[in-house]
Amino acid sequence: MTWSKYALIALSLVIMLRCIRSMLSSGFEAETWATARFGRDSVPVTHWENLIGRARSADIRIDREDVERIQAVLRRRDDGRWTIYDVFSRGGVSVNGEPVTADGAEVESGAAVKVGGATLRLQDLGAARGSALDAQRTSAGKSVSPALTLFELTLFQLLLLFQHLVTAAGVHSLSITLGFAVLLLLEWFCYYAMRLIGRSGFEIETIAFYLTGLGLSVTASSAPQDMFKQTVLILLSFVLFLLLGLWLRDLRRTARTRLLVAALAVALLALNLATSDSLNGAKSWLSVAGFSFQPSELVKVAYIYVGAATLDRLYRRRNLLLFIVFSALCVGALALIGDFGSALVFFICFLVISFLRSGSIATVFLAVSGAAMAGFLAVSIKPYIARRFATWGHVWEDVYGAGYQQTRALGAAAGGGLFGKGAGGGWLTEIVAADTDMVFAVICEEQGLIIALCMVLAVLTLSFFAVRTARRARSAYYAIAACAAVSMLMAQMALNVFGSLDLLPFTGVTFPFVSRGGTSLLACWMMMAFIKGADTRRGGSFVVRPVAELFSAAGAERKAAPKGAGRKKGGRGA
Amino acid sequence: MKKITRRALTVLMLAAAIIFGMSVFVLRYVDEGRDWALYFSRANAGAGGELRDRNGVVLAAVDATRSAFSDDAETRVACYHVTGDYWNRTGTGALSAYWGDMQEYELLSGTTKKEPKQFTLTVDASLCRAAWNAIGYNRRGAAMLMNYKTGEVLAMVSLPSVDPINGEAKVADTAFINRCLSATFPPGSIFKLVTAAAAIEDVPDLFSRQFLCEGEYTIGTVDIHCTGVHGYQSVEQALANSCNSAFAQIAVTTGYNSLYRHVRDYGFLDTLELDGLYSVPGNYRTEYAGNPELAWSGIGQSTDLITPFAMLRYVAAIANDGMLATPRLILSDEAPAETRLVAESTARKLKEMMSYTVAAHYDPQTNFPGLYGLCAKTGTAEVGGGTPHAWFTGFLDDAAHPYAFVVMIEHAGAGLTSAAPAAAAILRAAIAADGN
Repeated sequence: MTWSKYALIALSLVIMLRCIRSMLSSGFEAETWATARFGRDSVPVTHWENLIGRARSADIRIDREDVERIQAVLRRRDDGRWTIYDVFSRGGVSVNGEPVTADGAEVESGAAVKVGGATLRLQDLGAARGSALDAQRTSAGKSVSPALTLFELTLFQLLLLFQHLVTAAGVHSLSITLGFAVLLLLEWFCYYAMRLIGRSGFEIETIAFYLTGLGLSVTASSAPQDMFKQTVLILLSFVLFLLLGLWLRDLRRTARTRLLVAALAVALLALNLATSDSLNGAKSWLSVAGFSFQPSELVKVAYIYVGAATLDRLYRRRNLLLFIVFSALCVGALALIGDFGSALVFFICFLVISFLRSGSIATVFLAVSGAAMAGFLAVSIKPYIARRFATWGHVWEDVYGAGYQQTRALGAAAGGGLFGKGAGGGWLTEIVAADTDMVFAVICEEQGLIIALCMVLAVLTLSFFAVRTARRARSAYYAIAACAAVSMLMAQMALNVFGSLDLLPFTGVTFPFVSRGGTSLLACWMMMAFIKGADTRRGGSFVVRPVAELFSAAGAERKAAPKGAGRKKGGRGA
Repeated sequence: MKKITRRALTVLMLAAAIIFGMSVFVLRYVDEGRDWALYFSRANAGAGGELRDRNGVVLAAVDATRSAFSDDAETRVACYHVTGDYWNRTGTGALSAYWGDMQEYELLSGTTKKEPKQFTLTVDASLCRAAWNAIGYNRRGAAMLMNYKTGEVLAMVSLPSVDPINGEAKVADTAFINRCLSATFPPGSIFKLVTAAAAIEDVPDLFSRQFLCEGEYTIGTVDIHCTGVHGYQSVEQALANSCNSAFAQIAVTTGYNSLYRHVRDYGFLDTLELDGLYSVPGNYRTEYAGNPELAWSGIGQSTDLITPFAMLRYVAAIANDGMLATPRLILSDEAPAETRLVAESTARKLKEMMSYTVAAHYDPQTNFPGLYGLCAKTGTAEVGGGTPHAWFTGFLDDAAHPYAFVVMIEHAGAGLTSAAPAAAAILRAAIAADGN
């Protein structure tokens, strides 16, 4: 047993370091979609959505006094056609002499686009040149072999399984073995499927699988009778990850369904609110045909789906109101349900999205409305909050009362030391809800502080990667969605970890991927699809269509057929 | 896009906050981890072992991964205050006392267990169950049974009790308190056994004196009421009558110094040990000299407070001619250690008086059939309004069944009608167990 502890820690560190190196240090060249020429200047167009103007923050910068700071948005559609929108709304933008409104006008390659006093010509690269430029970019996974990392992860999980088989009751050996076996098969299936469709970026999946494996280990320790259920949930999570990813490939489709998803999310929360009153018990759970789930977790995904927006829409103010209303409905419903932790996670995510979307004055407005929501939240569940705040920082004064969970989490976490007691060797799992609310301490006790810190590092790595890759995202939608997803994961992790360790009031939200319980796992995997959506490294992501494929599709000037081709490829991957 | 992605950097503020928080945690972990870890280390992190009763019945078991209790709910509940639990929720259980120091802590490896331990206790789980049932599950009280020759405690129950496998939501108020050791109660008339001992030793002509009871006794401005009008009585008769008037006079005659000395020497004011479990001290206040309260204190009222365990030791010593076989909870082959608690002649005299009390006033043929050699005293302790606490304590003067006992039931009324039947049931169960 003892040697396996050290091996687990070593593997854990190696896996994390390899993922970090692969995600944060390898080449990150931009994609090139077209060339914009104005006068003698020529700049590459590196996004699907570009701000045109005099400001330094403009993507296509025209440094002339007769151009507004931000005058227009140039946008490439999935089918390769370009549209320009006048976002300054003073009529200073025209295409071939035709004035452009905020509703936009199509820009043919080579057409004369007048932006303020400057004339800009957009030159499409064409399939050959576009593909050639793309081929020069560093492909994902080049510096660090994803297969080797996955092999290390396999060893890591086999060792976890080994530890469980030593400690677990014989009755559960089979189900624990099956659970880990399914996870390993899924990982390698996923890897080969991605390779098959020419994708070599596998770090996000590796990190998600790393955390999911630790979650499976927690289940094996705390509720081995639920191994089968947890395994099915992992499979389901992965399928939803793939489906959402494939769905997100089509930006237009995604943007068009935002309103529908918002309506569905609100309806789900309303249903939860309506039925939970009669249940009188755990209000945040909804039971459908004997299968209970937490709607708030699914709404998290919907929230990001709805909250992110394309650049051209961001510059039309009327969309912000819709988002505020949607946010207020979500947070309000959660406050009524009494899910203080989730409401807080949503609120943090709201702040992030609203800041990403707006910037200055609007942000103030949004923050104020956000604060109003928080106030509403606090008032509606006041005694609950008050009690948690009173205990905060004083848990050791009431070890058998209000500080019951936190003191045990701290005791068990310290009891594990740096190296842990081994999977299944802890006592914290005996405490109610330890495998969800105190899961950081469970891992601390069983696997030691180092691996527990690796879990936190894993989520932080995803966050750094999302912020980094957002710069290269094709659309603001993907950039915002990726950043919002990691914000949500981080907020959730911070509340879970710091709450159980008495660094924040105890809220009882889940640790991403690791906490036992299905809906949270589903939501976390779906969040990964958003991050994958922003990953434009060559061969980085199945959510992102390859540059060459898009150029050839646009070149054929037929919309339906190439789209079908893209789907077919994605279908094979799934 | 540049605008958006610049704003995205703010997301890293969250990451920075998390890194800061984790740093704080790690520093605290290094600094306070030992305290955190050892707080719950009482057998919690896998100090293996078993806790068995005297017949080998497993009361609690711990292995590398699991901690468990008896499968039988009644055994778990009846023995809870003997076993305690792995979470140290009651401070006086064997699990806390014996397994508490079974772990070490180091930063690198956390807590490490020492060698597994097996403990066989002196208690008999079936007698604990009998005692628990004798008091009745819906009452509050305490009962102890002890072999006064060997010092072995055979039963120790406190009600309400706890099923250790349940969460705390189901636990009754004050159920974690072991009423045998960790709570003090006004003793009422059983305290007359102590007053009598002091008088026997310090009032030279005690046995030639007569004490008049006219239904009440006035000292200063205070009237002490008696349960009846007993007329002139010897000290033996006064104890048998449990006459408050007589014992108020005896207390005053004996004097504060003598009473206090005896209360102290008999251990009522000490933190008493039961093989590593500790009782709370009782109370006998020192400012009674020349005070009417002295009379009250002599009949176990005033501010007198004792633990049932202290009384058990005392009657066990009386039963054993004044020698106290040190009470034990861990079964051992070693010969019992004996110390003199009560002077031999005093003990003999008290035994005689207690035997007379049973014979003369408790109708043993009806109330205690089959209990040969019962020597006992009832107590009905007034508790400032409400129904009094009922006590019954004593022993069997029977070499085949050398048992001392104490039973206390809160707010149950007269000792003879409520505590005595419970004690009788426990004794009968013990005798039956000996027969097997």
